[in-house]
Amino acid sequence: MPAYHSSFLSDTDVRIIGNFALLPLRTRTRGPAYTLPLLPPDADEINIDTESESYDHLDETLTLFRANTLFRNFEIKGPADRVLIYGILFISECLGKIKPNMTGREAEKALNTLALEHFALPGDPTFPLNALFAPARDRNEADTLRQYISQMRQELTIRLLSRVYFESATVPSKWWLSFTKRKFMGKNL
Amino acid sequence: MSTSQTPAVVMDNGTGYSKLGFAGNDAPSFVFPTAIATKTAAGGGGSGSGRPAVAQKPSFLTGGAGPGGHLSAKRGTEDLDFFIGDEALNAAKGPGYGIDYPIRHGQIENWDHMERFWQSSIFKYLRVEPEDHYFLLTEPPLNPPESRESTAEIMFESFNCAGLYIAVQAVLALAASWTSSKVQDRSLTGTVIDSGDGVTHVIPVAEGYVIGSSIRSIPIAGRDITYFVQSLLRDRGEPDSSLKTAESIKEEFCYVCPDIVKEFSKYDREPDKFQKYVVDQGAGRKVTVDVGYERFLAPEIFFNPEIYSSDFLTPLPEVVDGVIQSSPIDVRKGLYKNIVLSGGSTLYKDFGRRLQRDIRHLVDARIKLSEQRAGTNVRSSGLEVSVITHKRQRYGPWFGGSLLGQTPEFRSYCHTKQEYDEVGPSIVRRFALLGGPGGAA
Amino acid sequence: MLLLEYHSLLIHQILTERFNGPTPATIDQVIPDFDGVIYHISTPESKTKILVSLSIKCYRDLLKYGAQDVLQREYGGLIVDPEPGYDFSLLVDLEALPEEKEQRDDLIRRVSLLKRNAMAAPFERAFDTHYHLAAESSKFTSESAPSSSDTEVMAIQYRDEEAIYIKPSHDRVTVIFSTVFREETDRVFGKVFLQEFVDARRRAIQNAPQVLYRNDPPLEIRGLPGVNDTGAGDVGYVTFVLFPRHLKPERRDEVISHIQTFRDYFHYHIKAAKAYMHSRMRKRVSDFLKYLNRAKPENAETVKERKTASGRSFKVQS
Repeated sequence: MPAYHSSFLSDTDVRIIGNFALLPLRTRTRGPAYTLPLLPPDADEINIDTESESYDHLDETLTLFRANTLFRNFEIKGPADRVLIYGILFISECLGKIKPNMTGREAEKALNTLALEHFALPGDPTFPLNALFAPARDRNEADTLRQYISQMRQELTIRLLSRVYFESATVPSKWWLSFTKRKFMGKNL
Repeated sequence: MSTSQTPAVVMDNGTGYSKLGFAGNDAPSFVFPTAIATKTAAGGGGSGSGRPAVAQKPSFLTGGAGPGGHLSAKRGTEDLDFFIGDEALNAAKGPGYGIDYPIRHGQIENWDHMERFWQSSIFKYLRVEPEDHYFLLTEPPLNPPESRESTAEIMFESFNCAGLYIAVQAVLALAASWTSSKVQDRSLTGTVIDSGDGVTHVIPVAEGYVIGSSIRSIPIAGRDITYFVQSLLRDRGEPDSSLKTAESIKEEFCYVCPDIVKEFSKYDREPDKFQKYVVDQGAGRKVTVDVGYERFLAPEIFFNPEIYSSDFLTPLPEVVDGVIQSSPIDVRKGLYKNIVLSGGSTLYKDFGRRLQRDIRHLVDARIKLSEQRAGTNVRSSGLEVSVITHKRQRYGPWFGGSLLGQTPEFRSYCHTKQEYDEVGPSIVRRFALLGGPGGAA
Repeated sequence: MLLLEYHSLLIHQILTERFNGPTPATIDQVIPDFDGVIYHISTPESKTKILVSLSIKCYRDLLKYGAQDVLQREYGGLIVDPEPGYDFSLLVDLEALPEEKEQRDDLIRRVSLLKRNAMAAPFERAFDTHYHLAAESSKFTSESAPSSSDTEVMAIQYRDEEAIYIKPSHDRVTVIFSTVFREETDRVFGKVFLQEFVDARRRAIQNAPQVLYRNDPPLEIRGLPGVNDTGAGDVGYVTFVLFPRHLKPERRDEVISHIQTFRDYFHYHIKAAKAYMHSRMRKRVSDFLKYLNRAKPENAETVKERKTASGRSFKVQS
């Protein structure tokens, strides 16, 4: 049983730039993504039902992260898998920034900076996964892709933090931090 | 002489551990490392070359029993100065003794040491007069016949044992599974998955004979699981991540889960899945180690070797399927139906269930594919895949030996000392199949 | 390991484990010991009551020589009715163990010495008789001392073909082992070995008991039932003569333990000696092989290679 694939592979009616799928997101951050309805305030975000209309691929990424990051090999089956790869590698990067002595507030600051700083797009010479990701066709598309990924990064940091600081607001969970050293597919962003 | 009622001695000498005991008992009487500590050359720097320092003629009396005199020069008792098992490990820590493991990869490499290992096993630990007992020994699959002959030479010529039977470990493991309620017919056809400390073997057996060409070994076994637990502990920066701690955690907490992603989520929902293990570091210092995901991740390396090793990637269920597919077609059905687990590293909870499910998936997928290819409406009746888990798994081969060794006809299957004297060592090249067709075992 | 232990290692181990183990567990094990002795250690009623049974070939003989008293003395309250198929049983209740660790260890030791204690009975009786006779004879002058031949010889048929004979008298206790070798090689080894025993006293260890070895029954036991001089010499008789200095009450227990294990010790060392010889033989063989390999001509390895028309090569067998 190899690494887990995205369950959004079957969603074909989404916009694709290069070979990266712009899947719908549940987020307050503004951007090009189609936004899903927010969760009701009493809903449990960590144990969200996969059938819920608010369930998005970031929920899935966070669920699969701990399992998939142990694997070195991953067969890409479609654009949604590339979104998954990007998400998992980004989580790894985030975890690397959280130091065991950081409080939730400090970690939030660090990750916000990370999410907003300039990042490489597929096709840029500094992008590590150019062998697997196709570049955008033109400037326009590239801009949209940058906005989408930025949206994704911001939302992902928020949700990751709520998990890592789930038990305590001052001490990060060592169970999550223990995955810092693992490298999914042997790569990092 | 008085061999009429004495129980047979069952000895299963493995690479790591030796299991010794008597037929009829449900557990081996002694389990200790197959290790021997011998006096090394002065200074203790030697590597345990295999032979005692034998310059002088041996004498039969105890050395040091009397005052010097001209005899003392002749009195060498170095050949009796050795330890086996746990005592050997202790002795080797001190000066003067060197440790040696006479069995490598399941096969006896150092006959001098093995002979003395047996000598001490029989007289010191089991306390039996070998002339009064029949012996059942085990051998790995594909043991060279020369090795069998050497074993017989030692057993009959040094120890004068009354009778000897040498059985293949995998076949005994099959016999051990007869105690499971899932087993109805006591057949000696099946696939044995034997996972010890160093290596895991998948061995197909058809009617008591090992299909040598189809055996596969996997470089993942108990030791690797321990290492993996240790690496997870280190990643998390636990206060104690010694091998010993990792081993205890492995033995106490690990289990096999059906799906790792679901299991991770389960840990999020049920915090009591996380456990604590208290390590006594000695000198009154105790530290608490948290035990978490390694509980199910560690045995997972059998099913997803990728998460542990970078050069061996085939999951165990695929290896088993491959082994059976490479066996003769007329026995495959029996091999799928009777997959027997043996050895300490197969004891994880639900190990058998997961293995059975995964193999069944592989088999069903193949059947479906061939049905599609055939294109006709003929439907296969399916193939039964059954993995047998039983209580005696840990010492499977030994227990199988104990089971067969207590049957009334066991002795008639053995070669006796008398037969050996007539024919010579080559007699042990063949043994009638114990518990096979015709045997009422 | 020069000497064999007197106690059953396995019983010792099981009891130690049970006495100190946190949870009681079921036990059901058959444990043989030397000379066809079989122990059965089990928990038939509840997990806290351990039954240790002993089956010994010569139990009748032992009873005749007062085994019951010795066992009663050693085990007292632990004794229960023998388990069917066994001769003697002890019941150890884990819930009624002594508090002190030393007492517990002592209990473990005593139970694991069950065979030794059962076998000790005739020896103890012989020693007692000797003390008695010695006291008697000290009243007489040496000429008028009662002849030693009228004391009873105790025979213990401890194996099918072998027996121990014990004969006490006023100045010594004679212990005779009859030994049978089924194997020619062993007989030779045995002879050398016994000769060493006989010689040891003469050469080095002056205060050792006198040892005699002969192939016909010694005078002491001639005419006893079961002792027949076939004349074929396949039965050997080893005689130990224990003098009063060996029979001192303070050394008594050790002497009894020691002499009991004589046969096992004897056979163990014959086997150990063979193992030792084998290792020397293996060494010789490997040395000789080295010489032989040295003598090989240099270019013997080059095998002619020929090629077929298609370019494949094959080796020509010489």
